[in-house]
Amino acid sequence: MNPDKVKIRVEHLKKDFGQLTVLKDVSAEIHEGEVVVIIGPSGSGKSTFLRCLNRLEEASGGKITVDDIELSDSQKEINRLRERVGMVFQHFNLFNNMNVLRNLMLAPVDLKKCSKAEARERAEKMLERVGLKEKAKAYPRELSGGQKQRVAIARALCMKPDIMLFDEPTSALDPEMVGEVLEVMKELAREGMTMVVVTHEMGFAREVADRVLFMDEGLILEEGTPEEIFRHPANPRTRDFLEKVL
Amino acid sequence: MSRTFSLFSPDFRFSGFRKGRISVIDILSRYGTLLLTAMGQTLLLALYGLFFACIIGLIVGIMSVVKNRFCRGFALVFVNLIRGIPMIVLAYFIFFGVPYFCNMILKIGGVTLTALEAGSICLALNCGAYMAEIIRAGIQSVDVGQMEAARSLGLPYWRSMHRVVLPQAIRTMIPSIINQFIITLKDTSILSVIGFPELVNTAKNVVANTFMSFQTWGIVAIMYLIVILLLQWAAKALERRLKYESR
Repeated sequence: MNPDKVKIRVEHLKKDFGQLTVLKDVSAEIHEGEVVVIIGPSGSGKSTFLRCLNRLEEASGGKITVDDIELSDSQKEINRLRERVGMVFQHFNLFNNMNVLRNLMLAPVDLKKCSKAEARERAEKMLERVGLKEKAKAYPRELSGGQKQRVAIARALCMKPDIMLFDEPTSALDPEMVGEVLEVMKELAREGMTMVVVTHEMGFAREVADRVLFMDEGLILEEGTPEEIFRHPANPRTRDFLEKVL
Repeated sequence: MSRTFSLFSPDFRFSGFRKGRISVIDILSRYGTLLLTAMGQTLLLALYGLFFACIIGLIVGIMSVVKNRFCRGFALVFVNLIRGIPMIVLAYFIFFGVPYFCNMILKIGGVTLTALEAGSICLALNCGAYMAEIIRAGIQSVDVGQMEAARSLGLPYWRSMHRVVLPQAIRTMIPSIINQFIITLKDTSILSVIGFPELVNTAKNVVANTFMSFQTWGIVAIMYLIVILLLQWAAKALERRLKYESR
């Protein structure tokens, strides 16, 4: 792992939905092994920014490079990129028509990343890691929110990604389940995974983030270490936001 | 003695042709095989129609949810065109109109359609349009997050559709599809107008021979009822089996 290596470079990213401009001009660099947490009020473009990184949203302008390779429009290349960039969603999005094990095995087997037996072995390992080995045969509807999100993380990890994107992973959870999901994410961060996390969990940001970005109205207004952002926010909007949420 | 044909008259069960009375039993014994064969033809027609309707419905239904505007436009036109034409008109048009058009206007000789072919096409188009709507609604009822999650793992659009979205869509569509199957099964009776020997057409002939409208149509109604109840029962069993729970 090389913290000087730029994993994702975003230059002048713009995104609009029809008349509405969600991202005005966003530039950022994410280094290898870094945990970047994006905070900001709702509607500030945090999620859209995250979704542009794996092309779930097509950018309207600007440039994104991952490992020094610029993202093109080729669907094949986008698919190949997504195999390496795991994503965890606010609403879990586990495949409801499959049990947990098959949720984890679908992509690796379908994309011929490995044999079925290997995929199963890895799936079981990942489930054990998130503490849900006994739920392998359960269907998503039989799990609690926290369990679903841990399965979703395990599912993403089964593709052996080297970048993980988290889109408000705890926002749809009951308060008592937030902890178990954050615990898994912390563990992942400790192991050196490159992570970009959109969250409202300021405690997590403080504790785990290497860098915090504050976004508002489609711009990154401030960035710095958690210490800088939370203790001495320079931008009045950041200060205002933090006063409300802390 | 006047000829009284009452289902409830005492002689209904035992009367025979010789006495000048014809009962349900007589119709069944004389025309039972014929009516069963006709039911077979009805089912055959419905089966052909439904088979192609499913294919048409799936293709057009998917066309109406993809990004491509041409596909969506085609699906919209197809569905509205077919829904806007009564099936009896469609049946006449396909059975009489299309061969006429080929022979007389395009000057392609020898184009004929059997009643079964024309009937199957007619049912397939008609039912296909409604199925397309059911399938479109079914696909759209699946949360977009399911597709996004599959795509985020690197699965291509069609693989995601095939492995994740469609299986869930089909499950929610089953009640509507069964309903459409039943409607289509009953709609085969409309195809009696192009001379296909299905149940209604055959029953008409039985009535013409026996003048026993009440009894004959009663038998026919019950025959339809039994088939449709069986279909519903099978559908319920299928629905129960497709619940996503660990067993």
